[in-house]
Amino acid sequence: MREGDGLDLELHRRLSAGDREAFELLYRRYAPSALGLATRVTRQQALAEEVVQEAFLALWRAPEAYDPARGSFRSFFLSLVHHRAVDTVRREERLRNRTQRAQNLEPVRGEDVAEDVVEDAYLRVRREEVRNALGTLPPEQRQVIELAYFGGSTQAQIAEALGIPIGTVKTRTLAAMRKLRRALYPEGTA
Amino acid sequence: MTEEHDRIEELLAGYVLRSLSGEDAIRADRLLSEHVPSCPTCRRTLAELRELAGELGLAAGASSPPTPLLQGIRRRIDGVARPSRLPRRVGALALAASVVALAITSGLSVSLGSRAREAEAQRGTALEMLSLMGLPGTEPVDLDPQGGTPDRARFVQVSAPQVRRIYLAARECPDPAPGHAYQLWLGSGGTFVPIGEMFRPVDGVVLLTLTLDVSRYDEIWITEEPVGDPPPSPSPDGRSWRAEL
Repeated sequence: MREGDGLDLELHRRLSAGDREAFELLYRRYAPSALGLATRVTRQQALAEEVVQEAFLALWRAPEAYDPARGSFRSFFLSLVHHRAVDTVRREERLRNRTQRAQNLEPVRGEDVAEDVVEDAYLRVRREEVRNALGTLPPEQRQVIELAYFGGSTQAQIAEALGIPIGTVKTRTLAAMRKLRRALYPEGTA
Repeated sequence: MTEEHDRIEELLAGYVLRSLSGEDAIRADRLLSEHVPSCPTCRRTLAELRELAGELGLAAGASSPPTPLLQGIRRRIDGVARPSRLPRRVGALALAASVVALAITSGLSVSLGSRAREAEAQRGTALEMLSLMGLPGTEPVDLDPQGGTPDRARFVQVSAPQVRRIYLAARECPDPAPGHAYQLWLGSGGTFVPIGEMFRPVDGVVLLTLTLDVSRYDEIWITEEPVGDPPPSPSPDGRSWRAEL
């Protein structure tokens, strides 16, 4: 268990009992990161705020969706935000009938943390660790992670945009994820 | 780790990044329901990849949420109490029972792709569903019509703990638009995968059964899609029904 995880577990336990204060404390802890992630994926502030609002409402309505046995609350919640953000991007794409996103597939440099964001020190430290780990990846591996995770692109779209076989996209993705895992969880995730 | 496990890990890596589509997404869902639950190596791999994928989100940075965001969440929480399962359960059971009765007595066709269209099969399916509804812990779920979907068109999903089957029933279900059919999706953490073949109602009734472990999912969604391969994610623009599991 990492720093901050214990408090998350306690807040989640209280939230599961219907404690509004615990919910708002979790909001204060994770809303800035959630909004940063949703903004990065959707590239639109209004859509990002909608994603974050829906994610927190989903947490309030069904806190049991998080199972502490399956990992950290932080990872669970950011995954929830990520999935909703990607779904939103794809829905918007369909609505605009865009046939390709090639122009938007350039990797985006990691935005900094806004100056007025107040967050726990452990989150700042972990954010730096994650960014450093991403920075150690070979450019071609980092590119596929950026396009898939932050660009919301499917592996098939990435292959088409980069002009490489989808098998290469899969190979690079797996290699990148293995390196990231070794860098961020040198002793395993448990 | 075997070569086969390398291939599985490759698929799971794409799955946790939400980047699979088409056949790969279907293969992943099959793996997640059939192989992963019984394979300690794959369960551990999936858990590690999920944890990593979540934490990757930190790299995006952080933005100070505007005050109205929390105010909006508070308003919506105050406006809608946490859903109580009991009334929904009673309504869902009644709906399921009415569809079973229709299926048993009227000889209507079962909508399950090209399989099990005979009347005997539909009666068998209906009786299985009836039997499941009597098991302890059975949790019927009433799906909410979304957007402009008629309120009278109701779907219910029935499953029971330790039973790797689900039953989906509907009555007064409108025919999909020309060139379209309905697709069942199951979601976990906001990620949806298409389940089974597309289907159409017969005389407004749908009764289908699928073998899978529904406990891995937290949402169910039925959408109207163009006939053919399902899109990478559900289309919310046509008729649809949705519920938390």
